[in-house]
Amino acid sequence: MKPENISDAIGMLDEDLIAGADAARKGRLPDRSKKRRPFWIAGAAAAVCLCLLVTCLFVPGTSSNATVIAEAVYPQMSPYPNEEEYISPVTGEFDDEGFSQVYDAWRESRRAQLNQPDGYQDGLEAFFSAATANLLSGAEGENLVYSPLNLYMTLAMLAELTEGQSRDQILELLGVENIDALRDKAASLWNANYCDDGSVTSILANSLWLNEDVSFQQSTLDRLASVYYASSYRGQMGSASFDRQLQDWLSQQTGGLLEEQAQDISMTPDTVMALASTIYFRAKWSAEFSESSTTEEVFHSPAGDISCDFMHQSSTRNYYWSEQFSAVSLSLRESGSMWLFLPDEGVDVQSLLTDENVTRLLFDLDSWTDSRFLIVNLAMPKFDVSSKFDVSSDLRLKDSLQAMGITDVFDPSVSDFSPMTRDAEGIYLSQADHAARVAVDEEGVTAAAYTVIATAGAGEPPDEEVDFVLDRPFLFVITGCDGSPLFAGIVSQPVQ
Amino acid sequence: MEREKSKADSRAACRGEPAQDNRIIELYWQRDEEAIRQTEKRYGRYLLTIACNILSNREDGRETVNDTYLKAWNSMPPHRPSHLSSFLAKITRDLSIDRFRRQNAVRRRATQYALSLSELAECVEDKETPLERLELAALAQAIGEHLRACPAQARDIFICRYYFMDPVREIAGFFGVSESTIKSTLHRTRTSLRAHLEKEGFKL
Repeated sequence: MKPENISDAIGMLDEDLIAGADAARKGRLPDRSKKRRPFWIAGAAAAVCLCLLVTCLFVPGTSSNATVIAEAVYPQMSPYPNEEEYISPVTGEFDDEGFSQVYDAWRESRRAQLNQPDGYQDGLEAFFSAATANLLSGAEGENLVYSPLNLYMTLAMLAELTEGQSRDQILELLGVENIDALRDKAASLWNANYCDDGSVTSILANSLWLNEDVSFQQSTLDRLASVYYASSYRGQMGSASFDRQLQDWLSQQTGGLLEEQAQDISMTPDTVMALASTIYFRAKWSAEFSESSTTEEVFHSPAGDISCDFMHQSSTRNYYWSEQFSAVSLSLRESGSMWLFLPDEGVDVQSLLTDENVTRLLFDLDSWTDSRFLIVNLAMPKFDVSSKFDVSSDLRLKDSLQAMGITDVFDPSVSDFSPMTRDAEGIYLSQADHAARVAVDEEGVTAAAYTVIATAGAGEPPDEEVDFVLDRPFLFVITGCDGSPLFAGIVSQPVQ
Repeated sequence: MEREKSKADSRAACRGEPAQDNRIIELYWQRDEEAIRQTEKRYGRYLLTIACNILSNREDGRETVNDTYLKAWNSMPPHRPSHLSSFLAKITRDLSIDRFRRQNAVRRRATQYALSLSELAECVEDKETPLERLELAALAQAIGEHLRACPAQARDIFICRYYFMDPVREIAGFFGVSESTIKSTLHRTRTSLRAHLEKEGFKL
């Protein structure tokens, strides 16, 4: 390679990168003193909680206050440096050395989290495929969101608490041979997706809520704390205070995004254990949307046309297409991406749920040939969608899990929860609640874009420019730092 | 003096609202030659600065900027750029580099472009293997990825130097820091870029 090649490639950089630097060189560098809102405040925020209630047919009983039985200790990460703190208020000089020191430490801690053994994501692809097809299908015209990784981790913990056929069914669904392999994978997935450095928040928090009248296997609880970073709390089941503690924990772990949904979760006196798992994820777009180019446009929802705010952005990026859809990926600063799958005109978004090309694009991007690097004029509705799978809604996580082969844990006559406790008989999984919410906005200051005219269609795009207009139900997937699918959902009504 | 004036004009030109750019783009789409006059008025000196950075010759620079208008006229439609200034800057940059290469086959000159190449040589082994356009796109994507992971200021400094070919002294002025800070920041970005490209499997 020659230096000219590097120079030529620099000439082909994305417009947003150039525009940012151009603003600086024209003396239009945003006034740093005004930039009070840290860059990670918005962009994409998502949260999920999953709560499994394990009940038994008979529990002996007395009562006392909640206590911590096993506590998870999260890895310490170096903070992402705030550039503004390295500019001298007197001379305006940038403290390069000081900044670099903190920055290098941050990069190193980030690298350490991401440095996981080869193959740790194996099995996730098949699980994602099966779970997405099961959980997101069937509710036509509704918004649906769930978290593949959250469900994976919860099921992995459930495998730790069970034995025999109950456990084997879970291992099979997760695509692992035995519990040891699952532990390795789960710990790697947890760590590769853990980030709490001030710039990106991505935390997979787990907890167990235990009935104080039941004795639990401490070794299992300790393992859940060390491998799955799950803390265990013990208290009086069915009491308002213990319910409140669980609700507060859920709400706190999800940054308040799921406060409303968390209020509905409660435990009953016969609950042996509640297993709660959350993901809270917040990151900013790498290339922000300009608020000034957001316009009100029509979204063709199955329930009829609705007016909503569309964000616009034109830039050079990879555009992917397949028989049924076209797709682009928007990167999230210092983090993963949001993939947007737009079904071709006349194709129902539901049919993308069983389209293996969606999974292939997410998990095996290198082998994808139908793509082109061109100017993509993107129009995306601002959306804030949530969905809840619980006993009160039509969406039943239990039904989906059973459809995927997890049946024994729900049946007290065959379930085996012996690694959890030998103190009670007839233990079974009585309730599985899953709530998720994803909110997306512009959070941006840069470019202006123009009004989009046409829509992206099927097949090969033109040579240099294509419009990608998400004005009808579409599928999205948010991937984390390591590319694992954190959230997947269908947007049918951007504004609820 | 001339240079200072040109910079001041560029700033004034680019402070305008996007609405003004949209009007100019609309003129191109209507095939109205007023589009070129408006472009020249608004971006003439801005583009001349870029061309002169690369060519170090005012006459050559002027011709390249005129060629830029022609190319813009031929590109809009079908293009409807979201940043008119970046769109024009890219054309000027490409045309200037082409011109430099043609001329440099005959006579070697020390321009900001030539200097930037000698700096970028740190990122490669300088083997005689030309890249195809497709590979260049992949390379551009990898460089973009790396720059996005860099601190914002280091990224902007890198682009000022190697995209706009601004002299180090001027970049120091843009950011209100010393020349040595700019040089060390550039050096660090080049070094980390090289490591990133190697990791991504590029044969440097």
